[in-house]
Amino acid sequence: MNGTTAKPLTALRRTQTYRDIARALWEANPVSKQILGICSSLAVTVQLQTAIVMSIALTMVVALSSMAISMLRQWIPRNIRIIAEVAVIATLVIIADEILKAFLYDISKQLSVFVGLIITNCIVLGRAEGYALSNPPVRSFMDGIANGIGYSSILIGVAFLRELLGSGKLLGYPVIPEALYKAGYVNNGLMVLAPGAFIVIGLFVWLEHTLLKKSR
Amino acid sequence: MSDRLKTLVFAVVMCIVCSILLTTASRGLQRFQEKNILMDMRRNILKSVNLVKEGVPYSYGEIEKLFTDNIQPIWVDPSGRQVEENRRSEQDFRLYLYTQNGSATAYIVPINSRGLWGKIHGYLAIESDGSTVSGFTVYKHSETPGLGGEIEKQWFQNNWVGKKIVDQAGQFVSIGIAKGAVTDKIPPAKQMNYVDGISGATLTGKYLSAGIRQILQQYEPVSISFRSRPKADSTSRSKAANPD
Repeated sequence: MNGTTAKPLTALRRTQTYRDIARALWEANPVSKQILGICSSLAVTVQLQTAIVMSIALTMVVALSSMAISMLRQWIPRNIRIIAEVAVIATLVIIADEILKAFLYDISKQLSVFVGLIITNCIVLGRAEGYALSNPPVRSFMDGIANGIGYSSILIGVAFLRELLGSGKLLGYPVIPEALYKAGYVNNGLMVLAPGAFIVIGLFVWLEHTLLKKSR
Repeated sequence: MSDRLKTLVFAVVMCIVCSILLTTASRGLQRFQEKNILMDMRRNILKSVNLVKEGVPYSYGEIEKLFTDNIQPIWVDPSGRQVEENRRSEQDFRLYLYTQNGSATAYIVPINSRGLWGKIHGYLAIESDGSTVSGFTVYKHSETPGLGGEIEKQWFQNNWVGKKIVDQAGQFVSIGIAKGAVTDKIPPAKQMNYVDGISGATLTGKYLSAGIRQILQQYEPVSISFRSRPKADSTSRSKAANPD
């Protein structure tokens, strides 16, 4: 007891949750390390705002679906387990989509089909199959949150660079001073297009692999 | 057998639980969604006559006020005459009038065209000369994002402003979506009847051109009455008789 109060950070570091999040953020990042969920990372990262909403939606879906599947894991018959998993995921995604349409209509229009496509996002089914089926609900929920954060970190990072370089804005507010434009600075049109995202994600993957190699 | 039965029971229970969840979410949120959709339609109507700007957030109160102050929804019969709301028949159609100081500056035609994957819904506003487009907007479609989906983007819609639905002789020709840039593909005399196409979305353009032609043809009596109206006439133009 004394140990935990004296060194809270060390104690925190020893928890499973901390290790899960650290792993999902870094060593086993679903996007940059496992190369999953690339489709949506390309599509919704033109602006920071859509990327953030998408990140929240995906994190909630992964966490809740992992928890639900973990709770059902003793009941799910093995021969229809993928169907059952997809049914849980699809239900949650449609509910998320309905909520966005009710309260964040403009963003939901910009995200268009990509919220619905969370159903086919490999991260979600991957966590359900690979983790939730063999772990208790709370652990699975935290695993979902951890992987959601891992996905979000890349998505928001990419969107930050794309919006800044492509439109000179952040969250819709201009951040590049007018004087710079007058001096001949122009926005990078490539960043607004999907290939721009491809290059940025590639750079992220490169950076992460290089840093990981060094730390070993 | 018992294993199979277990699977079946699980599947059935799962389906019922999922359906109940989805129905609850859909019914519970419907009220909010319908309000959003209505406001989005109104914002698009206002946008087509340039009363709201793209990318600027408007509160629902502001949209409501702009709409009731400037836009007058009416019904017209196939010969272009206005009909009363309560006396309208099946074949009458919707028209929105943009009125300024008691006279119509533009009329707005609801667009409901076939697209590649589904219906395209939007508005086409035409100035009071009955031939010049004042704006085009899309509020609902199911085209491919990045290809046909570009029809909802500002750059595409900006191309429509100032185009004509009549040719140089004043005959109705509608507006077509070119396959590529208008300046490259269309002879100069016809450029005012075409807008730039979207690369990779030839079919969306084709269906939308056809849909708009069909709709404008249907509204042609209204357009004619606007065209034949003397300038600066402030009498109730929607009731104006056809010239023939």
